[in-house]
Amino acid sequence: MDSKSSACSSPNPNPTLGPSKLMLAFRFLRALSLVRRTTPASSRTCRGRRIERAAYASMAYTAGASRAWSRAVLRRLHHRARRRAVAPRRLSTTAGNRAEALRRLVPGGGGMDYCTLLEETADYIKCLSMQVELMQGIVDSASSYGP
Amino acid sequence: MEAKENNQFGLEKSHGDHISSHSSGAAGFVTPLTSSPILSASMVEAFFAPSLWNHHTSSCPMNFGESNIQTATSGINCVPIGKPVAMSNRGMLPSPPPGEFPHSLPHFPVDSGFIERAARLSCFGGSSFRGISLFGPSQSMAPPSDASKDVNGARVLKAELNVVSLPVEHGTIKGITTNSKRDRSISHVGTSNNESREGNFCEDGQERHTGSADAAGNSSSSDLGANKRRKATEEMEKEKDQVLRALQSSTETTKNNTETKHKSYKHSGKNAKDNSEAAKEGYVHVRAQRGQATNSHSLAERVRREKISERMKYLQELVPGCSKVTGKAVMLDEIINYVQSLQRQVEFLSMKLAAVNPQLDFSIEGPLAKNLLHSHGGSSSAAGFSQEMIYPQVYSSQQGLAHAGISSMLNPSDAFRRPMNTEIPMTSGYKETSLQMHNSWNEQLVMQMAYGANPPLNSQVINRKPDGFTI
Repeated sequence: MDSKSSACSSPNPNPTLGPSKLMLAFRFLRALSLVRRTTPASSRTCRGRRIERAAYASMAYTAGASRAWSRAVLRRLHHRARRRAVAPRRLSTTAGNRAEALRRLVPGGGGMDYCTLLEETADYIKCLSMQVELMQGIVDSASSYGP
Repeated sequence: MEAKENNQFGLEKSHGDHISSHSSGAAGFVTPLTSSPILSASMVEAFFAPSLWNHHTSSCPMNFGESNIQTATSGINCVPIGKPVAMSNRGMLPSPPPGEFPHSLPHFPVDSGFIERAARLSCFGGSSFRGISLFGPSQSMAPPSDASKDVNGARVLKAELNVVSLPVEHGTIKGITTNSKRDRSISHVGTSNNESREGNFCEDGQERHTGSADAAGNSSSSDLGANKRRKATEEMEKEKDQVLRALQSSTETTKNNTETKHKSYKHSGKNAKDNSEAAKEGYVHVRAQRGQATNSHSLAERVRREKISERMKYLQELVPGCSKVTGKAVMLDEIINYVQSLQRQVEFLSMKLAAVNPQLDFSIEGPLAKNLLHSHGGSSSAAGFSQEMIYPQVYSSQQGLAHAGISSMLNPSDAFRRPMNTEIPMTSGYKETSLQMHNSWNEQLVMQMAYGANPPLNSQVINRKPDGFTI
């Protein structure tokens, strides 16, 4: 993880323009190749989780340090390298704690006011959807080669 | 836009399969997009539409407060106009007793003249003007005789009611002038009140109606969420209600008015100046509406609520299928579900990627990497490039088509041109192509495929015009 993170150290100079798809693709593909090279082919779950971490890392780097959620993601990845869960698995949203549920979902959501939380959620959704697009595309292209 | 181009690849089925096989309920989010109609893709369209997308995303992330500033400064600009008249007023009224007003103010302009001048000021919102005209004369009624205060106030308010019902601003002004001619003898006293109130309007606004403020404030605060205060008709309705209520509680309002006016005299000088200065400093100015409390706390609350509603609207656009949803709670639920589904998709896709046989070996050349990383500051080129990459052609299994598509796509970007033009292999068969290609070309191809292959989850964002506000 460290080699990956140190390689993508340039900050996003255009925070106003929003996350760039090209940069995301670039970073993620690089991280993906690194994971492929380093992990043994047998441990698929381990590799899968590493890929997931790589996805979040490339998302966070592409979004830049201007976003609270991206900083929280990177903090989580750097300092809690032992823990595997980057995204919480199960969440129940009852009528009373919708805001809390959202805070738990969005990284770094605990320490901000509701207004900022909504803003961060919007940016997080944008980046997440870009990431999902990218990954889906890679999977599709890879699977289209076929046997 | 991306959705339509991607569909050209005939990816719908395969993508649909992927989605349907996805264990979570995220399918609901993505499938509608795959069924969107296929457009004929033109390079020009593709080139500009993505920039639109980028503009949209860029326009969104700016301050939400800007819109407030714009609307508020228009109100603020009106304030200095009242100043020249109010200035003389201030000198006269340093310490009027709460219940009394100066009876002789001969050098003030006649009421009708003042009203016409105010009418010319287009920036005066209808509500503000009507507020002044409505309640100025009522104030003037108060001082002459306390005994008949209520009766006179009620009479004047009734007369002014006709004014409120007129739909056009100029119409109301005419109505006021006709009324004022009748009441001219008494109303000249009110001009002083008008002007000082004018000066104070932006800040103190509705303290006169403390009696009816609560009821009116509740209805008007609910309107805020829909930004209805910008429409004249809505304001008229509000004012009608307020005037009716004020009729019933006229004593209360006049008493409150006198008290608050006394307070406002002290603030009038400060406020008028502060408004113009603070506008330059970039404060977020909020205009107090009629019947709303102008407490600093409630104003800040209102600003906060407006910000939140703006952001909720933006989120509504981001999350697919949420345009029909109304209400914060349901919207929040949708947002939470969407974020959860996206995270689950990332997890699922990463597992799948781990399982995929690594046929594509991505390794990025040094100079190419540096180019990308350092030149993405020229984000227009990068963004334009990435958007061109969406161009469908790549996904076709036919080599010729892919070749044509790719080579036509990559012209503007220097970073990619050389490898692209020199290393496009002429083999038949997609698989061979990818394997034999130069590594950087390989990666580019994958990127193209990646973005070309998928209908974007946020295609709706691209089709919409950017909002005025920005995060």
